[in-house]
Amino acid sequence: MSKADSSDLDALVNKMKSAASPLRTVLRELYDKYLPLRDGKVADYIPELAKADPGSFGITVVTKDGQVFSAGDVKQQFTIQSISKPFVFGLALEMHGRDYVLSKVGVEPTGEAFNAIVLDETSNRPFNPMVNSGAVATADLIEGKDFPERVSRLIAMFSRYCGRPVYVDNTVFMSERATGHRNRAIGHLMLNFGMVRDRIEESLELYFQQCSMMVNCHDLAVMGATLANGGVNPVTGERALEQQYVKYLLSIMLSCGMYDYAGEWAYRVGIPSKSGVAGGIVAVVPGVAGIGIYSPPLDAKGNSVRGIKVFEELSERFGLHAFETGFTGPSFLDQFKPARTS
Amino acid sequence: MTKLISIHSFRGGTGKSNTTANLAVMIAKTGRRVAIIDTDIQSPGVHVLFSLDPSRVTYTLNDYLWSKCKIEEAAYDVTDSVVGNADESGRTRLFLVPSAIDTGAIAKILREGYDVGMLNDGLHELADRLKLDVLLIDTHPGVNEETLLSIAISDLLLLIMRPDNQDFQGTAVTAELARRLDVKKMLLMVNKVPPSMDREALRQKVEDLYGVEVAGILPLNEEIVNVASGAIFTNRYPQHPFTRCLVQVVDRVLQCLA
Repeated sequence: MSKADSSDLDALVNKMKSAASPLRTVLRELYDKYLPLRDGKVADYIPELAKADPGSFGITVVTKDGQVFSAGDVKQQFTIQSISKPFVFGLALEMHGRDYVLSKVGVEPTGEAFNAIVLDETSNRPFNPMVNSGAVATADLIEGKDFPERVSRLIAMFSRYCGRPVYVDNTVFMSERATGHRNRAIGHLMLNFGMVRDRIEESLELYFQQCSMMVNCHDLAVMGATLANGGVNPVTGERALEQQYVKYLLSIMLSCGMYDYAGEWAYRVGIPSKSGVAGGIVAVVPGVAGIGIYSPPLDAKGNSVRGIKVFEELSERFGLHAFETGFTGPSFLDQFKPARTS
Repeated sequence: MTKLISIHSFRGGTGKSNTTANLAVMIAKTGRRVAIIDTDIQSPGVHVLFSLDPSRVTYTLNDYLWSKCKIEEAAYDVTDSVVGNADESGRTRLFLVPSAIDTGAIAKILREGYDVGMLNDGLHELADRLKLDVLLIDTHPGVNEETLLSIAISDLLLLIMRPDNQDFQGTAVTAELARRLDVKKMLLMVNKVPPSMDREALRQKVEDLYGVEVAGILPLNEEIVNVASGAIFTNRYPQHPFTRCLVQVVDRVLQCLA
């Protein structure tokens, strides 16, 4: 059997296993349960985000073997926004190594809002790569001979994670750039302290580009599954991140991924995750699966309201908290296998 | 809990539908609630064996897959015509869920496809709502989504083959796929075996080749051809060698499910 035939066969076998597995029903139940939830408000700081349908809702789980489970609007495209941050951080790690990156961006959680104009007083570093200051400093670390090459490297990286070519939505990019005064201020503050190079305007452009990448809920789950699978995209078999860096992304996602709800998230849900202002959340159950959720209405902290609910329930029901021990409930892994009557 | 049995052959003409119908009748006669679902939506045929009056058929599996009806609304009670009052418990029932036989419906489902997950839901709902003991799934020959799904959810896969080279190769493909799908239990039946063939040698050869137990070696014969596709053979010829072989298969199947 040729390699292509064999991967086609794997895909077919996986599709059947997914169709026959309990998780399909679990996700549909979660979808039906939380769809009527009307709390939260769609982000409206730029017109493109305000246009999102508050009723749009999708959940996808992709296992580290490439099985796919979905419910709801999993093909609805939206901008990745802050969910891009850990992945760009991974590329910076690959380009410079852990120690150099750490000299430019810290890894400490901060109680400040994601867009706070504040740096560590002793080191002048941004606190972590998940707040805007840290993400701009991280974008500054993305190398390339010129701006187009830096952008194309970012796009190539996201395409490896998603397993398909991704693109930047130009309208969103223009809006982000036009309204990005606060991020520009953060960038110049860091320039003042010598924490970024004098190409800061270009790096800000790069940051606005990365936030305006279009993805869907299925993509988020594949990206999460890639991290769950040690950096190799389980659908395409292509490596998106060196294995040694996966744990650094996951630990920062666990401690800083959910804006200033991150502490309570780590406490209650305990799954490394990253949310974005468009209403997406990517989550990683290490060694098991990636989970993507899309639902635009956000709570006061900027996280998807339905997304939080679904993760709370998944974590509780299947013991997905990173520090769960002696869990006696149903195993998450069993939900991927066809249920047989005996 | 309902036990699911998929009956499959890699190529057509192995007598799969005929065998499925006979097995269903014989299992029902042991005092069980049984249903057959014809998932062979591309070339349905099992309904003919039960002489199901087309005017009685309001809904089919296709209608369920198009969300036009509940799955149990596409189930027809055929107990009276093929099983009769076989036991005193009153539990015995045999239902049939046919696929649509008009060309338009077949073309529509082939062109538009359907959500294979819905078929999975339908099989489980059917089992629940009719309180079945056994659900037999008659599949399309070869490899397609209905077949793979059926194998993935079954408690038992019954493979039927003829003793020729094409079936030998094809059955290997199915057995390999079934293992990939982590099938729980597999049994093989060799059908249409000519009288001249050494049956024990054949059994040994097949078991060695696939590592799958052979539950029955069924003879080729004239009466089957004459009756075939018109009625339930084992009802008409209860003492025929073919019937006696099938009795053994039923025993083995029920043991495997116990």
